[in-house]
Amino acid sequence: MNSSLNQVELLALSPFLVLLTGALIVLLVETFWEKASRQISFYLTLLTIACAGVAVILSPESHHQLLTPWLRFDTIARSFNTLFLGIGFGSVLLSDPFFKRFGATKGEFYFLLLSSLFGLLLIGSSADFLTLFLGLETLSISLYVLCGYMKTWNVSHESSIKYFLIGSIAAAFLLYGFALIYGAVGTTRLDALMAGYKGLQGSKQVLFMAGTALITLGLCFKAAIVPFHMWAPDVYDGAPTPVTGFMAVGTKAGAFAAFAIIFLVSLPQFNLEWNRLISYLAFPTLIYANYVAIKQEQLRRFFAYSGISHAGFLLIPIAVGTSQALPALLFYLIVYAFATLGAFGVISYLDTRPNGVLLKDLHGLFKKSPFLATVLAICLLTLAGIPPSIGFFAKLYLFKLAFQAGYYALIVVALLTTVLSAYYYLRIVVIMMTDKPTETVEKPELLHSPPALALVVICCISLLALSIYPQPILNLLSTMP
Amino acid sequence: MPNILLLFLVPFISALIVLLYPSKNKKLLKVFSTSLSVIPLFVLLYIHAEWIATGNEQFVKYEWFKLINIEFYLAIDPLSLLFVYLACIIVPMSLLSARRELIHNTNTFYALVLLLQGLLIGFFTSRDLAFFTFFWEAMLIPLYFIINEWGGPHRHRAALTFLLYMILGSALMVIAVLALYFASANNGSMGTFNLDELQGVAGAMPYAAWMCAAFLLAFAVKTPLFPFHAWLPDAYFQATTPGTILLSGILSKAGIYGVLRITLALFPAIMAEFSPWLLSLAIAGVLYGAFAAWKQNDFKKVLAYSSFSHVNFVLVGLFLMNETAQAGGILQALNHGITITALFLVASWLEQRIGFTNLGRLSGLSLYFPMLCWLTLFFVLSNVALPGLNNFVGEFLIFYGLFAYSPWLTALLGISIILSVVYMLHWMHSIYFNDPSPPHGIWSDIKAKQLLIALPLVILILWVGIYPTPILDHIKPAVNKLVAYNQVEQP
Repeated sequence: MNSSLNQVELLALSPFLVLLTGALIVLLVETFWEKASRQISFYLTLLTIACAGVAVILSPESHHQLLTPWLRFDTIARSFNTLFLGIGFGSVLLSDPFFKRFGATKGEFYFLLLSSLFGLLLIGSSADFLTLFLGLETLSISLYVLCGYMKTWNVSHESSIKYFLIGSIAAAFLLYGFALIYGAVGTTRLDALMAGYKGLQGSKQVLFMAGTALITLGLCFKAAIVPFHMWAPDVYDGAPTPVTGFMAVGTKAGAFAAFAIIFLVSLPQFNLEWNRLISYLAFPTLIYANYVAIKQEQLRRFFAYSGISHAGFLLIPIAVGTSQALPALLFYLIVYAFATLGAFGVISYLDTRPNGVLLKDLHGLFKKSPFLATVLAICLLTLAGIPPSIGFFAKLYLFKLAFQAGYYALIVVALLTTVLSAYYYLRIVVIMMTDKPTETVEKPELLHSPPALALVVICCISLLALSIYPQPILNLLSTMP
Repeated sequence: MPNILLLFLVPFISALIVLLYPSKNKKLLKVFSTSLSVIPLFVLLYIHAEWIATGNEQFVKYEWFKLINIEFYLAIDPLSLLFVYLACIIVPMSLLSARRELIHNTNTFYALVLLLQGLLIGFFTSRDLAFFTFFWEAMLIPLYFIINEWGGPHRHRAALTFLLYMILGSALMVIAVLALYFASANNGSMGTFNLDELQGVAGAMPYAAWMCAAFLLAFAVKTPLFPFHAWLPDAYFQATTPGTILLSGILSKAGIYGVLRITLALFPAIMAEFSPWLLSLAIAGVLYGAFAAWKQNDFKKVLAYSSFSHVNFVLVGLFLMNETAQAGGILQALNHGITITALFLVASWLEQRIGFTNLGRLSGLSLYFPMLCWLTLFFVLSNVALPGLNNFVGEFLIFYGLFAYSPWLTALLGISIILSVVYMLHWMHSIYFNDPSPPHGIWSDIKAKQLLIALPLVILILWVGIYPTPILDHIKPAVNKLVAYNQVEQP
């Protein structure tokens, strides 16, 4: 048996190695050279992520026996990892105005961010329950710390404790589910699950189903699906804005990547009862989140509910489970990621207080900065799925899948909640356009931040480009097996 | 590059150029953007010539979102051709009507109008329902800003009302589009947005009547059909002249085009069923608009209600399921676009000179502005359908069709002609004739430049009025196509 790793294997692993090395360098610089860390850690992190991105795209596939049981190097892994690194890059850009305002230490922050990215990459490439769990935990543990990063903010304490407790419970559920499945089929390898399930009978099948139910439960916690969403608004509310941005996009993408890897890639439509159950979860998620989002006044909290409602949409491809579902899921995630990060980019300009940006702070933004207001409007229109934006087509794509699978009631509910969501997204746009004098409350000054501007511009251009010509991305996605 | 793609892209590129154009010279910018807005007209003329020469309809078709079967499919058939011509003529006119001293953020304004032109051309040529919807919704964005940023003191309220009405009107349409798509998927294949393919099958689908009604609602709000017009007086009145011209001259035609392209072509049988109801609404709109125009004491509002009355007249023609009347309706849509543009143009020149739009404060101005007075009179006569001018031909065709349907209704609708003479001449009389007010030092008549701007409109009005055959020849195939669908539908 060939037990040594050679060059191809190292290259295949290079995204992980680059991230790990970069994270350690950031930590070392922070420890021994704190002054410099303030200057360079931001750029160091960007560079690390960019290198990792290049590595993901260029790295060869490895067929080494030591690696393939644990990690996959196929196009699915590559697509997810590219998406994750893009999200990470955006979140780093997002952090610049935050540090300019609040001046916390940077080194640890970027180290933790890189660690959570490492976790995401592990999820994206996992070929075994254990690596998947490792990835989820690496992601979560770094995020527990990041949520409470501002030690002086009272809101953050509650946020991080809550996240930690709920996250641990979810991890326990997941692990229990993995154990039950291992008990049923005798393996934790994802590619052996389907064959294992087919051979099961009697009580072992019950064991397997119980395992999948627990895994679903655990992932629903992570993805904030109603009724397992209770933590999300409070945690989003209390975390610093760049962390919220990262969680709203990155954690969601990670949880749905785990969903997709287990239930779309390894166990496609293994039991239609399970698919129906997932579609039942989508109903309360869509209805509740959209209803509650109407009443939100604080933007971080608002985006928590907006994120939950989009999680409801993302459940549709999971529930459908056909071979077309994965490209649809990824396309929706990409659109959602750009729109949400762009919106957070604009919000970060107004972020002056620990308790975040309020809806009324946006009054008159259009006068103050037509550009920022336009970008925010584009992002919100995309999230709302109003026709000239690509959000509409991303939703339409999901509806088509649901239609083919026969989930008619789900389509109707999703459509109605889309109309509802148009109301609260457009309300923000209207607030930006009107300039009601907000009494004595001091209006936040806009900050000059080139990285945040870069993020906003990138998101804006990407959304416009996707709206004008989405076919190249779709071609890319549809090449997936 | 295919010519249609060129036609479609030119306005967007122009908009970008104008937006980034560094000059602060407002005059230069106006000339520059107006010349850019004329380019599509030349491209269109070229396409038209080529079409006549080769006899082939032109189209472009690209895959856009293959997984849900959306194609970027633009084509020009006789119906599209007429409306694209209108878009290519009205937009430069609206730019010419802009008064430089009233337009701040000049670059943005011109860029928005050019953007709107591109979206309009896309709307009038797209044959894919997804893109049709896309352009339909996208048009709201530049229009909202055009109303909201430039215009009268209550423009914010007017813009918001406009936007809300449009979004509410088209929300159901989006659902109908989706329903059409999914219903067409039922026969085993992938669903389709292709209008050519939908044409044969849409009418027989389940809930086709509801889909048709949803489409009609969207078009009725935009045109607007009585009683969906509550946004109109405010929006027309508060917008600046270019905005008003765009709204009345070309945006109302988008609704009319939608009626022709979607409801009449896809659901002819259902439209025939709806016809009596729709007709009564449209006739009520004609009369309501006429009475309302009569009672206004502000000439911009007179024109707003007159426009409302006349677009409903167009709809009367379309809702009569009759070849002649529909031909008249299409012709009348073009005529109305030209005439109302001309009227708002001369009204804005008058407003520029006297500084307000109220009636009754000044009179006998023909003494001071003889040229402007004659020009206005000419356009007014066109609006009241004087024989020999453009509106006469269209209205006559509609009356002809209506008479075959019901002579009594014809008599009722005939009142509107009298009313339009009454309110238009009331305006002329009270402001240009009557006893002259005392002169004002800086009043000066229009110059050759303004006459030159108005000249194309005068020529078009006379051409359609005196020799409408070439245009009717283009309308005929469009109507024949509609009639052909009717016959397919009802064997």
